[in-house]
Amino acid sequence: MIEWIAYICFAISFVAFGIGTLGIFRLPDAYSRMHAVAIGDSIGVGLVGLGLILLSPNWILRIKLIAVIILYWIVNPTMTHLVAKIGLIQGTKPIKGTKLWKG
Amino acid sequence: MRRRSIILFIILFAFWLAISDNVDIQHVIFGAVFASITVWFWVDTGHRIPRIPSARALRQAGRLLVLLIVNIIKGNIDVAKTVLFSKPPARPVIVDITPAIKTGWGRVLLANMITLPPGTITVDTDPETGRFVVHALTEEAANDLISWPVIDEIIKLENLMQEGEGYAVDSRRDDNPDSISVSASDNRADGHRPPRLD
Repeated sequence: MIEWIAYICFAISFVAFGIGTLGIFRLPDAYSRMHAVAIGDSIGVGLVGLGLILLSPNWILRIKLIAVIILYWIVNPTMTHLVAKIGLIQGTKPIKGTKLWKG
Repeated sequence: MRRRSIILFIILFAFWLAISDNVDIQHVIFGAVFASITVWFWVDTGHRIPRIPSARALRQAGRLLVLLIVNIIKGNIDVAKTVLFSKPPARPVIVDITPAIKTGWGRVLLANMITLPPGTITVDTDPETGRFVVHALTEEAANDLISWPVIDEIIKLENLMQEGEGYAVDSRRDDNPDSISVSASDNRADGHRPPRLD
């Protein structure tokens, strides 16, 4: 039973990575494409990790996997932020029609 | 200070033993040496060692974690819909918000919680004013961000950390722990200022 739940997690994360890759082609500009890649980076990696945790034979491995996911979820948004910011500094323009809202 | 150093040592040492999967003499000595070096380095550089948070602060952090996971799932479904069916269509919005978060770690937490779920990316922050420039993929995501409950939850966590034990400051440093956001702005390596949106 647990094995099957793990396999379902892997399947969903596979689909998530697929949608993320499709988004790179379908979305209009560099900043928007980052959102698509984030699908794979957030739930894709999270579900692969969850599946591996479920299949792990012992707790040592599970703790290591949890540490990897936590580190990944800290590093990933930081790097996304850096890429977006460098893009802005270097003058990569958002697509025409991008609105500016003051919250 | 010494008590916190010992607690930090125990946490690091226990983590080392947990991930090394071995309790022979070599691993124990290695772990003890590296945990000591880490504690010594952390204390000696004069950086603030967080005190142990209160139970209420931990509970609030747990709430934030749950909210984060809910937001990740929701953001994934929304962006997947945009990519697959263009519903809602990708109409990017750059949102300029200034949430009332005071501490440096609170802002880092918010910036990461905005960027991790798909649909919103923190493009820039201003450490002086606490202003966030966020790129949202759709107008719906931008609307959600403006009235985002997570911001209030982070402010609650900040208050709990301050009224509880809060952060310890090394007595050798005379600056105010809350001034971290100001000092961080002095050291911006890129010398970059957030773009003017008006």
